[in-house]
Amino acid sequence: MVFSDPILLGCLLTVFLPLSAFALIMIFTRDNPKLSLAISLVAATIPLIIAWTFFFKLGGRAPIIYNFDWMVSDLVKVPFGFLLDPTSLVMFVIVATISWLVQVYSIGYMAGDPGFGRYYADLSLFALAMLTLVISSGLLQLYIAWELVGLASYLLIGFWYEKFSASEAGKKAFVVTRFGDIGFFMGLVFLVIFYGSLDIATVNSAAVANSMPPWLITTSGLLIFCGVMGKSAQFPLHVWLPDAMEGPTPVSALLHSATMVAAGVFLMTRIFPFFAASATTMTVILAISTLTLILSSTIALAATDIKQVWAYSTVSQLGFMAMGLAAAALASGTLFAGYYHLTTHAAFKALLFLCSGVFIHHFGTNDFFTMATQGGRKLVIPMACITIAALALAGIFPFAGFFSKELILTALAHLDNKLWLVLGLFGAFLTAYYSFRVIFVMLFPKSPEAYSKVPGHIAHVEDEAHGHGAHGHADDAHGHGHDEHHGVPWVMIFPLLVLASFTLILGFCQDYLEKLLLGASHPHAMNYFLLVAAVGCALSGIALAWLDWGRKDAKCVGFISRFPALQTFFIQKWYMDHFWRWFLNRFIYGIFSKWFTYNDRRVVDGGVDAVAFSTVGSGRLLSFIQTAFLQYNLLFMVVVLAGVGIYLMMGR
Amino acid sequence: MDIMLFGPELFYLGMALVFFCLTLRRQVQVRLDYQIALALSAVGVLVTGLCLFQQGDLFFKAYRVDLFSQIFKFALALGLFLVLTISHNLAAIEERYQAEFYFFLTTTTIGMMMLVSSVELLTIYVALELSSYSLYILVPLRRGDGIDVEAGIKYLFIGAVSSGFMLFGLSYIFGATGSTYLVDILPKMNQLVNSPIGIIGLLLALAGFFFKLSVFPFHFWAPDVYQGGANQVVTFIATASKAAAVALLLRLAVLGHASGYNFTIALVILSVVSMTLGNLVAIVQKDFKRMLAYSSIAHAGVFLMGVLTITEAGYIGVIYYALAYLVMNFTVFMVLSEVAADGRDLQISELAGLYRRSPLLSMSLILGIFALAGVPPSIGFTGKLLIFTSAMNAGYFWLVVIGAVNGTICLYYYLKVLYAAYFIDDPGLPVITLSLPMRLLNYALAAIIIGFGFCPDRIVELAKAAAKAVL
Repeated sequence: MVFSDPILLGCLLTVFLPLSAFALIMIFTRDNPKLSLAISLVAATIPLIIAWTFFFKLGGRAPIIYNFDWMVSDLVKVPFGFLLDPTSLVMFVIVATISWLVQVYSIGYMAGDPGFGRYYADLSLFALAMLTLVISSGLLQLYIAWELVGLASYLLIGFWYEKFSASEAGKKAFVVTRFGDIGFFMGLVFLVIFYGSLDIATVNSAAVANSMPPWLITTSGLLIFCGVMGKSAQFPLHVWLPDAMEGPTPVSALLHSATMVAAGVFLMTRIFPFFAASATTMTVILAISTLTLILSSTIALAATDIKQVWAYSTVSQLGFMAMGLAAAALASGTLFAGYYHLTTHAAFKALLFLCSGVFIHHFGTNDFFTMATQGGRKLVIPMACITIAALALAGIFPFAGFFSKELILTALAHLDNKLWLVLGLFGAFLTAYYSFRVIFVMLFPKSPEAYSKVPGHIAHVEDEAHGHGAHGHADDAHGHGHDEHHGVPWVMIFPLLVLASFTLILGFCQDYLEKLLLGASHPHAMNYFLLVAAVGCALSGIALAWLDWGRKDAKCVGFISRFPALQTFFIQKWYMDHFWRWFLNRFIYGIFSKWFTYNDRRVVDGGVDAVAFSTVGSGRLLSFIQTAFLQYNLLFMVVVLAGVGIYLMMGR
Repeated sequence: MDIMLFGPELFYLGMALVFFCLTLRRQVQVRLDYQIALALSAVGVLVTGLCLFQQGDLFFKAYRVDLFSQIFKFALALGLFLVLTISHNLAAIEERYQAEFYFFLTTTTIGMMMLVSSVELLTIYVALELSSYSLYILVPLRRGDGIDVEAGIKYLFIGAVSSGFMLFGLSYIFGATGSTYLVDILPKMNQLVNSPIGIIGLLLALAGFFFKLSVFPFHFWAPDVYQGGANQVVTFIATASKAAAVALLLRLAVLGHASGYNFTIALVILSVVSMTLGNLVAIVQKDFKRMLAYSSIAHAGVFLMGVLTITEAGYIGVIYYALAYLVMNFTVFMVLSEVAADGRDLQISELAGLYRRSPLLSMSLILGIFALAGVPPSIGFTGKLLIFTSAMNAGYFWLVVIGAVNGTICLYYYLKVLYAAYFIDDPGLPVITLSLPMRLLNYALAAIIIGFGFCPDRIVELAKAAAKAVL
C-alpha cells in the first residue's frame, strides 16, 4: 500500500529519514564527522526534493489526508497521519529548504568542532520534529512534534554545554516554553473532552459551521494560544528567545528565527478558522502581539550584540505576524497576510542570521561595533546580503518584506480602532531604525573611540571576556586571522546567495502564493495613504539611523540616549528578566515549591515509605517459608493442595 | 509425508545422537563441541521455522502437529539456540562433562517439543518426564561445593511429588471418562467438572505443569535451583522450559472451561498468591538469580491469570507473553552470564558500574528488566496488557487490580537491579569486553524487545491462529 502511493511514501520518508539519521548518528557514527555529515545531508536532501515536488504537484489540489489509528478508546480516537493542504505545503517547503541550507552552511561554520556529529544528529532530530509538526493531521500529533521541536531546540541551544551560560539558556528556553505548553495541552484536553476530536480538518470545519459551543472555542483558543506565546516568544514568555542565541548561529537562523519559532504562528494559521471563530481570543492575541512588537523593537534599539538585535527583531516580527492574523480574523479577512509575512520573514531573517554568522565566525565576536571597526565590510558578499536582508526587514520596495508588511498593515487598517494601525506603523519605524543602525555601523565604521560611549559595547581589547565565546571552539580550531579576509568557505556563501535571491523574488510571488493558499487571488485595492505611511515610516527610521550612526560626523549614541531613563529601561529589557526572577522566587519557589515540597516530604514520601517498609517487611516474613528442609516444603505443598481441594468441595 | 510432521523432533533426535557420540570420546575438545552445538541448534531453529505451518496427526492421533504446537516448538528451538550462544564459556561445568551438557539440553528440548504436541494423557506424561529427567541431571552438573547437589535433589523430589499428583489426577480423569485422548475427554468433562472427581482430577493433573512453571505451592524448588544450577542451565529452565509448561497448561485448562466459578476461583487464588509471594520475597533477595527465581514465581501468576480466563483473548495474551517472556528473561540471563563470566553466582551488588564496564550489556539489562517489569513500549508491556485486558473482559476485576498492584511492587526489585548497574560504581570491577557475535546478539534482542513491543500485530495474529487450534 505504501509503495503504490507515492504521496504517502513521500510523507513517510520525510518523517523517517531524519529520524533514522538521528538514530544512526547518535548510536553509531557520532565520532565520525564526515559520515555523520553525509547521513544527515542525505536525510535532509530527500525531504527537500519531496517538499518542492509536492509543492508544485499538489499545490492546487484538494487537501490530501492520511490517517492511521494510533490510540483508540471508547470515546476518543487519536489518529496519526498527514494532512497536505496549501497551508502545510508552503510551510513544508520553507522548513525543508531552510533546514537544508543551514545544514550546508554548518559544514563551514561548525568545521572542526568536537561535537560535529552530535550537532548534525540534533539538526536531524529537529528536522524530524519540525516536518512532522508541519504535515501532521491531528492536533495531538502536532503537539507531540511541538514538544520534540522544543527538545531539539533545548539540545541545540545548549550545544556548547560546557559553557555555563549556554546550558542555562537551554534550560531557560525549555522551561519557559513548557510554561506555555501547559496551556496548549489544557486547550487540547478541553477540546477532547467537550468536542471529542483533535483532527485539524474536523476542528476547523466545526468552528466554521458553528457546531462547537462558543465558550469552548474561546477557552481552548486562549489556552492553545498560550502554547503559541511560548513557542513564538510572545510577551510575557518572550524572555527565552534572546538567551537562545547562545546556540551556534546556524541554529539561531534555523530554529530561533525562521522555522521553529514560527511554529506558533503556523499553528495559528493551521487552525485559523477555529481561532477566528472567537473575537475575544483574537482581541487578546492582537493586544499581546502588539505589545510584543513594541517591546521587542525598543529593546533591539539598545542591543550591541548583533544576534541580540536580530533575536529581538524576530520576536517583534512574530508579534507582527500574529497581529496580522488577529486583525484579519477580527475584520473577517484571510490568513494570507500573516502567513505571507511568515514566509518572507523566514527567508530574510534566516539570511540575516547566516550573514551575521559569517561575521561572527570571522571576527570571533558578537559585538557588531567591534566587527565594524575590524573591517567587517570587507567581506563583500555577506555585507551585501545582510544589507538586502535588512532592507527587506525594514520593508523597502522591492524586497520581500515590503509586500508582506504592506499586507499586514492593510489588515490592521481594516480594524475600526486605528490605534492598532498606528502602533503597527510605529513598530515598522523602530524596525527600520534598529536594523539600519546595525547596517550603517557595519558599512561606515568610525574609529573605535567613537563607539566607546555606546552603552553595552566594550572596546574590542577585552573581546575575549565579552565576546561570549559564542564561537570559541571553531574559532580556536581554525584560527582565522583578521588579515585573512578571503577565508569564508563557499559552503557558507552559497546559502546566503540562495536566501538573498529568495528575498528578492518572494515579493513578486504574492499573487501566486495567495492563489495557492486561498484558491483565488484577490486584486488589492491599493491604499495609497497606507503605502505612503508605511514607506514613510520605514524611510524615516532609516534616515534617523543614518543621522545617528551613518553620516561622517554622527554622534554614535542613538536618539534614545536623550532619554536616559528610557534607555536604561530598554537596555534592561523592560526588566522582564527581573520580573520573572522575582516572580519565580516569590511565588513559585516561595509558595508553590515550598508547600508542595513539604507535602511531598511529609505526606507523600511518608506514605510511600510506610508502604515500602511494610512491603519489604512482609517479603522478609514470607521468605521464612522457604526453608532448607525439603520435607516441610513437600508437606506445605500437600497441605495447600488439600486446602484447595477441600475448598472446592465445600464451595459447591 | 507423515515423517515430515515429526521433522523437528527427528532433527533434535539426530542432534542428541551426535552429542551422545561426542560424550564417548576420550580427549575433550571443548571448542569443537561448542561449535557443533551452536551450528546444529541454529539449523534446528531453521528447521522448526520451516515446519511452522505444518498440520496433521501422528501416532494414532496421540500427537498433533498444528500451529499452536509448532509455534512453541519454534520457541523451544530458539530458546535452545539462545542458551547455546551464551554457553561459549562454560566455566561452571567441568570440561569432560560439557558434551553431556549439550546432550541433555538436547534431550530435554526433544521432551518439551513432544510435550507441546501431545494430546493424549500418557503421551503427555511420558514427554513431561523425558524433559524433566534431563533437567534433573543438568542441575547438579555444576562444578561446585554441594549447593548444586542440594538444588538437584530438591528439584528431583518436588518434581517427583508433583508428577505423583499429576498421575493421580490423570488417573481420575481416565477413570471418570474412560479415555486418555483429550478429544474424547473434552465433551465428557463438561458435566464432570462439576463433580468432585472431575474437578480434583483436573486440578491435580495440572500440578505437573504448575511445578514446571513454579506456581505456588509448587515453587519451592525455584530459588534453590536457580541459585544452585549453572547459569546456562538455569537460563534454559527459566526460558524454554517455561514456554513448554505454558503450552501444556493452555491445552489442559480447556478441560475446565465448563466448570464455572469453582475451578477458576481455585486458579485465581493460586495466581494471586504466586504473584504476591513471588514479588514480595524477591524484594529482599541479594543474589541475582535467586531474585529472578522469585520473579519467575510472580510471572507464573501472570501466566495463570491469562490461562484461567479460558477465552481466546486470554490465550492470545498468554501465547504472546510466553514468547515475550522467553526473549526478555533470556536477555537478563544473558547479561547475568556475561557479567559472571567465571560461572559464579552473581550478587546484585556486583552489577555496580555496569554502564561503564559494558554500556551495551547495561542497555540490554535495562531493556530486559523493563520488559519484565512491563514498562512500555517493550514486549513485556504489550504481553501484560493483553493478559490484563483479557482478564478484565472476562470479569476478573479484582484479579487485575491485584495484578496491577503487583506490577508496582515488582518495580521495586527490578529497579534495584538497575540502580546497582547505573547509580553505583565500583572502580575495582573490571571492564567487560564482548565478542562481535555477542554484540550482535545484544542488538538483536534489543530490536526484538522494542520492535515487537511497538508492532505486536504479526505475533498477535499468529497467536490468534494458534489459540484457535487449542480452544
